Amino acid sequence: MIKLKDVVKEYTANNADTVTALKKISLEIKEGEFVVLRGASGSGKSTVLSLIAALSKPTSGEVEVDGDKISKLADNFASEYRRHNIGFVFQKYNLISTLSVKENIILPLVPMNLSQKEIEERLLRVLKMFHIEHKANQLVKNLSGGEQQRVAIARANINNPKIILADEPTANLDEKLSLHLIEMLKELKAEGKTIVVATHDPLFFGLSFADKEIELHHGSML
Amino acid sequence: MFLTPEVLAIFILNAVFALFASIAFFLSVRIYLKWNMNSSSASQYELEKQSFLGATIIKYILITKTALFLFFIFTLDKISNVITGAMCAAGVVDATQTGASLIVLKILNIYLFALWLKLHAQDLSDKQQPYTRMKFGFFIPLFFLFAAEVILETVMFSSIEIDKMVSCCGSIYSSTSTSVISSLFLLDTSVLVALFYGSYLLIVLFYFVKNRYIFSFLNFLFIPISLISLILFFGTYIYELPSHHCPFCFLQSDYYYVGYLVYTLLFLGTFHGISVSFSKERERSYKASLLFNSLYVILLSMYVVVYYMKNGVFL
Repeated sequence: MIKLKDVVKEYTANNADTVTALKKISLEIKEGEFVVLRGASGSGKSTVLSLIAALSKPTSGEVEVDGDKISKLADNFASEYRRHNIGFVFQKYNLISTLSVKENIILPLVPMNLSQKEIEERLLRVLKMFHIEHKANQLVKNLSGGEQQRVAIARANINNPKIILADEPTANLDEKLSLHLIEMLKELKAEGKTIVVATHDPLFFGLSFADKEIELHHGSML
Repeated sequence: MFLTPEVLAIFILNAVFALFASIAFFLSVRIYLKWNMNSSSASQYELEKQSFLGATIIKYILITKTALFLFFIFTLDKISNVITGAMCAAGVVDATQTGASLIVLKILNIYLFALWLKLHAQDLSDKQQPYTRMKFGFFIPLFFLFAAEVILETVMFSSIEIDKMVSCCGSIYSSTSTSVISSLFLLDTSVLVALFYGSYLLIVLFYFVKNRYIFSFLNFLFIPISLISLILFFGTYIYELPSHHCPFCFLQSDYYYVGYLVYTLLFLGTFHGISVSFSKERERSYKASLLFNSLYVILLSMYVVVYYMKNGVFL
């Protein structure tokens, strides 16, 4: 279970201008839920994701995941938490263009000291799951946008995380590919993963399998 | 004022350390007074960020300061060449009124700095950071000891007069010395050697018994016993001279710089031993202590054995 309690997040630029990205937000996401965070640019959607991922700390308030106060974790424990619990899907894929598909996918496993056999088993599982076995040895820069996004989702799943966080995952995809991506996310939800998508893409609104839609406006929940 | 590149390096480093240590001191006071890990207030999150900064500053100062102890000794040894009458670092220490106090303070600080680093490592290894308040509280008195060390060091190097005659180590470490050192020579060497090996054997025994408090205390006791044994007994075998008792000369190239190894082993062995009393990774500390203390004892004993094998007599 993900719990945000009275979370305030402020960003300070040049020691003067303080921007309040989140204003005392409280929300709960149960295990296995599919949650859509809606809102315009600057509404605080990505900030919520970064707090759940322990990439940043709140200015005040608490973020809990499965009873652990992750907003209080020191950097080394935050990294460990991310490594075992979180899979990211980014708007711009964030793949390394000079590496092959399989090299990109196994990157999150590098610090985990797994055996070669275990790495290959995990790789094969996600390559099959996202139908990219035939592209495994190709450089990602030679792939289409849709294929790159599949590689990004495969990478997010290689460590078998409990939580998938997707930040504007369809922003660079056409409608057909976006629908395909939504299908993939639906399959991941069916596997029991908790999925939080921050988006302003209307394709995500009113999805039958979504458990919750949360609208953010200037850092507040509507 | 006596300046060499080494002394200048120490002055510059001390100035840098003093600046950063002052920042860390103010952060430490604030964290010690206001720390509350259960709070999710903005001020607590601010303190958590500051604790990361403060701990990083302290960590790097203390690591560097601990390693710099050997550089300090090396500097004393090097400048002994230009001080009239001095044959090694002992003469330089004796050249000023603050030298001896500075050495004692430096040894005390090394152990305390290392204890802080150990506490810090334990704090970071636990999600709840249970020792944060304690480690910053511990740094507050440590800061004053650190400041005293910097001041004494500055005073010492500033008050050295190179044309003033000083005693050489041969007269400082002898029974005719006018200092407190002469009283050491009243001790019976055979009793001292028995004490040395006896305390080491007790350390070995309590390694197996695993009583951490006694093991820790024995290691604490092993420091003075080792140092006195080194001066009165083992040193003579390193120099192969029955009348030479200086604890500094064997830091020189004539003795293959073995002094640095001797003191490093003693520090590592006794520090790990002392830290067993509060260490979380106790087994590792037990093993490290036994390993380094054993190497220390073997190294010193080898000098005696080799001397006996070469000459057929003991000194």
